[in-house]
Amino acid sequence: MLSIVSESALLHKIEKDPASFAELFHLYYKPIFGYIFRRIGDFDTATDVAIETFTKIFQHIRYFEDRGISIKVWIYRIASNEVNQYFRAKKKHNKLFERLDTNQDFRHYIEDDRARLEAELQKHHQYLSILEQVKTLPVKYQEVIALRYFEGKENKEIAEILNLNEGTLKSLLSRGLEKLRLKCNPI
Amino acid sequence: MNINEFEDSLTQMTKPEVNQLKHEDMLAKEMIKAKDRSVVSIWWLAPPFYILGMLLIKALFNPEGNFFNYLVELVFFQKYLAISLFYLIPGILICINSWSIWKIYFIAGRPQSIRFIKSVWLNVLIILLALILLLL
Repeated sequence: MLSIVSESALLHKIEKDPASFAELFHLYYKPIFGYIFRRIGDFDTATDVAIETFTKIFQHIRYFEDRGISIKVWIYRIASNEVNQYFRAKKKHNKLFERLDTNQDFRHYIEDDRARLEAELQKHHQYLSILEQVKTLPVKYQEVIALRYFEGKENKEIAEILNLNEGTLKSLLSRGLEKLRLKCNPI
Repeated sequence: MNINEFEDSLTQMTKPEVNQLKHEDMLAKEMIKAKDRSVVSIWWLAPPFYILGMLLIKALFNPEGNFFNYLVELVFFQKYLAISLFYLIPGILICINSWSIWKIYFIAGRPQSIRFIKSVWLNVLIILLALILLLL
């Protein structure tokens, strides 16, 4: 990931030449796609949400301002909001995705990625059964549990991503974890 | 299973990894190509201001001419054109640009006022010009 100096240099570069966004895209697309994929557990929806996330990042990167959060945290924040919006409204299909879906090469790449990631998903039975239960929780618990236990992030970073103080985060995590435990091991 | 054991099992469980995405390169290229296809353009205000300019020039060069009389004539004889130019276009532009400013404010993480104004000055200008048309 980027240091603060290279982060501001890259932002400056993107401001001058929007094509430099590709550098930022390649740095963060895989980890963000992974986060979205692990939260949703479905390749097609994850692709759609990931494209929507990066479209938003591209449209708003020039408004990004360093106010104590890094680009990485900001990108996770947008991704998290997009996933939450998907769970709330089940809104699907970014326009760019729809347009790209008519391109033979892109469809071929997507089919390859889908086959590989669906096979990867089936290797993790415990995760799949936990994910099913996580999805039944309110969104506010889903995101803290996913960031802590699926992404392995520290509380400080999760609090930054979700714009919460650490105390609130700890209480959300502990309540969410208890709810999830009861769903996974009903008494 | 108590809460600590449950937490340990969540931490230790294996999760799917995303190591390779073939569609990544093509998506990056297409995303950059598709940049800024926004319809929120200041040029939408050009037709009504062009008409106003014409009426103003006509009023200035005709000794008996009156700008507001010409405007009333236009509204009277070209009802639908006047509604489109002086109500519909400014109204839509005010709504779109207000929504855009609100969205930028939240997505940019509530930036400081000077930086924020620098980012949205064009949207504010469009709203002001549209308001002039509406109030006329």
